[in-house]
Amino acid sequence: MKRKATVLFGAAVAGLAAIAALAQQQGGEAHMDGVTFLGEPVTADELALGQDLYAANCASCHGADLEGQPDWKRRLDSGRMPAPPHDETGHTWHHADRQLFTITKLGVGGVVPGYESDMPAFEGVLTDAEIRAVLAFIKSTWPDRQRAFQADVTANDEGGS
Amino acid sequence: MPGPTYPRLTRRSFLLYSGTAVGVLALPKVLHSAEPLRPAMVALAFDGDALLAAGSDLLRSDDGGSSWTALPVPAVVLALATHPERPGRIIAGLASGGVALSEDGGRTWEGRSRGLAEGKVDAVAIAAGQPDMIYASVQGDGLWKSEDAGQNWSLAMDRPWLADAERDLLALTSVDLASGMGGIWIYAGTPAGLTRVPDCFCRWQDVQPGDAMDALVSGDAPPSEAPLPAGEPIHALASAPAAPEMLYAALPSGIWTSRDGGVVWSHLAVGFAVAVAVHPVDPDHIVAALDGGLKQSRDGGATWSALAAT
Repeated sequence: MKRKATVLFGAAVAGLAAIAALAQQQGGEAHMDGVTFLGEPVTADELALGQDLYAANCASCHGADLEGQPDWKRRLDSGRMPAPPHDETGHTWHHADRQLFTITKLGVGGVVPGYESDMPAFEGVLTDAEIRAVLAFIKSTWPDRQRAFQADVTANDEGGS
Repeated sequence: MPGPTYPRLTRRSFLLYSGTAVGVLALPKVLHSAEPLRPAMVALAFDGDALLAAGSDLLRSDDGGSSWTALPVPAVVLALATHPERPGRIIAGLASGGVALSEDGGRTWEGRSRGLAEGKVDAVAIAAGQPDMIYASVQGDGLWKSEDAGQNWSLAMDRPWLADAERDLLALTSVDLASGMGGIWIYAGTPAGLTRVPDCFCRWQDVQPGDAMDALVSGDAPPSEAPLPAGEPIHALASAPAAPEMLYAALPSGIWTSRDGGVVWSHLAVGFAVAVAVHPVDPDHIVAALDGGLKQSRDGGATWSALAAT
């Protein structure tokens, strides 16, 4: 009797584990499928384009793995701040889609009056569609918590969704 | 024409005049020591209705300032922070470096400096709505944060760049107004004026009308209509917990207030102000260290009364 109960219990645990693994896998697929930008779904092709554009235009400062410049919280001798990471260790996921788009297109210095930054404006370098693809790629790399947080920020942002 | 005549200087008169001169020179010192001890206060805070005042000692009054008790802090206190949701919790920034924490209104203290950079802690703040989130400004270093009431610290942000130089943070206050980045603001006073940073720590920026998004697209946003006077250091800042858009600031020119989150400021009291604190429930109840004494107002700064410091 005791042995039977043990076997049953073991089977139940294994079943639960399998369900959890399946749920996680399904969540992972939804995670990739669920990337949006300014409320619009993003296609796999756009994500691939964004990844290439990131490598060509952004990785030299923000890092090939989105890790940012070393010691990025410490000011450079120029008085400007280093390029921050775009992964979950940075603050990019605190900004609404509209804000990310504006900063990328116009540069930080162009949108925060008087703010000096080494970040260039990508207007004239990348099209609006290409900026959208890069930002969508960055968003696709975030863990669920950061993606959910940023989705809320975007939803609360006027005109951001 | 006869010349001026002078009294003849005898040995006796020389001694008499010398003694008088020594006495006159010594008089200010005698008068000084005869004055009641009233050390200049550098930081103020409310712990509920109780008042805390830090100078050479940290003092507490539970009777509206009529009597004061010295608290056993481990070092000279430069900055204080409390939180309306945690009565009895006091964070103290220390002149010797590091911060100290009390959970019993200041009766007992323990150091909470693990991982914090060395250097004087000029300013401390506790995040509105998050009593375990503590910010500390380390002189010559930057803004640090602890998410666990000081158990562990990490660098949040380097110092702000204002008027072509990196500036120390002399004052900090958590302002419970939406930053537009999923959080709220931290306002800071520096030797070169007011600045603020969202609590995601993306960048120091000027106070602008509206939320951060308005600031970002503020090619069309109107400039501040009445900023704090340029060129003055900001010694202390306080945001009213019950009305976070109400701010108070202590400057060499006096106590200033804003009713709109720091866009428009007005002058409340003239004098050399080094500290200001606002009651956790009543945003019109403030105390200030002004011209070496303590003053209190219960009507938002319209009228003031003196408080005994000791």
